[in-house]
Amino acid sequence: MTEDRLIELIEAWGADPSAFPDAERAAARALLAAHPERFAAAIAEARVLDAALARMPDVLPSPALTEALIASAPKPKRAAGGFRLPKFAPWAPASGVAALAAGLFMGLMVAPTASADSETDDVQALLEEAIGYDPAALSEGIVE
Amino acid sequence: MAFSSDLDQITRAAAGDPAAVRALVNRYSPGVLSLATRMLSDRGEAEDVTQETFIRAWKALPGWEPRAKFSTWLHRVALNLCYDRLRKRRESLPGELPDLADTRLAPHEALDQSQRVRAIEQAISALPERQSAALTLCALQGHSQAEAAEIMDVSVEALESLLARARRTLRAHLLEGSQSA
Repeated sequence: MTEDRLIELIEAWGADPSAFPDAERAAARALLAAHPERFAAAIAEARVLDAALARMPDVLPSPALTEALIASAPKPKRAAGGFRLPKFAPWAPASGVAALAAGLFMGLMVAPTASADSETDDVQALLEEAIGYDPAALSEGIVE
Repeated sequence: MAFSSDLDQITRAAAGDPAAVRALVNRYSPGVLSLATRMLSDRGEAEDVTQETFIRAWKALPGWEPRAKFSTWLHRVALNLCYDRLRKRRESLPGELPDLADTRLAPHEALDQSQRVRAIEQAISALPERQSAALTLCALQGHSQAEAAEIMDVSVEALESLLARARRTLRAHLLEGSQSA
């Protein structure tokens, strides 16, 4: 390490030897320690600039920029060929039919039983009232 | 969310993992924006460069191979985009030579802290672009010598030369300014 080389290091990397290149740091420290007065002026000048640079504020992204950067990123990919739930479930109509069938079955099971004859009589009475005569009598030729 | 490594974080971000994407943005966007702001001395343009840098990063992530640190690669992209913009500025002003901005303060101006900061910012951005980049990467952002050299695609020796010239110019300019104030 020569004095000229140490001056070059200070001018390039600043007053703090920890910023010097690894390979030359130890030798530079040794020379500085041995002859501090020879490098005092260079160190003082470098310190002024180091301090000015250290006072520079950080430049931080705004929240809007951060969100824009995130929004520009790739979106999550769906697994190719894998099973996934579709938005519309094809079994929904089938489940409706099944529910209807179950409802009918339960209704038949619990509904009060009536005789076939009484149902036939009721239907007959309704027909007579609707058409004004008894269709059974007509078929037997006894229409009045 | 914790990531086992840079590569893990990058792989997840490439697949669109929202946490990994946000982590990458939070980790690297300040450095990219800072570099662009110092280089261009224009916040709007610096934000444009930052966005363009990340768009390129998202495109590159699926095929990312860790030959270089992601940070190094990202800053190199940003720096090259800054160089492109500075070149276009020069081309749009034919006949005008690049010159140092007058960062000296008028005698009536007090040298308060904000004025000093502004003067240094202007002086850095007025340096020749490679000197400005070297100073920003090493003295302001704290990149290692090897990383800064790799970002700039120069040798460590060349980086040292750029730094020395940048600091010499900056010191002379600021000293001149303070003496005239």
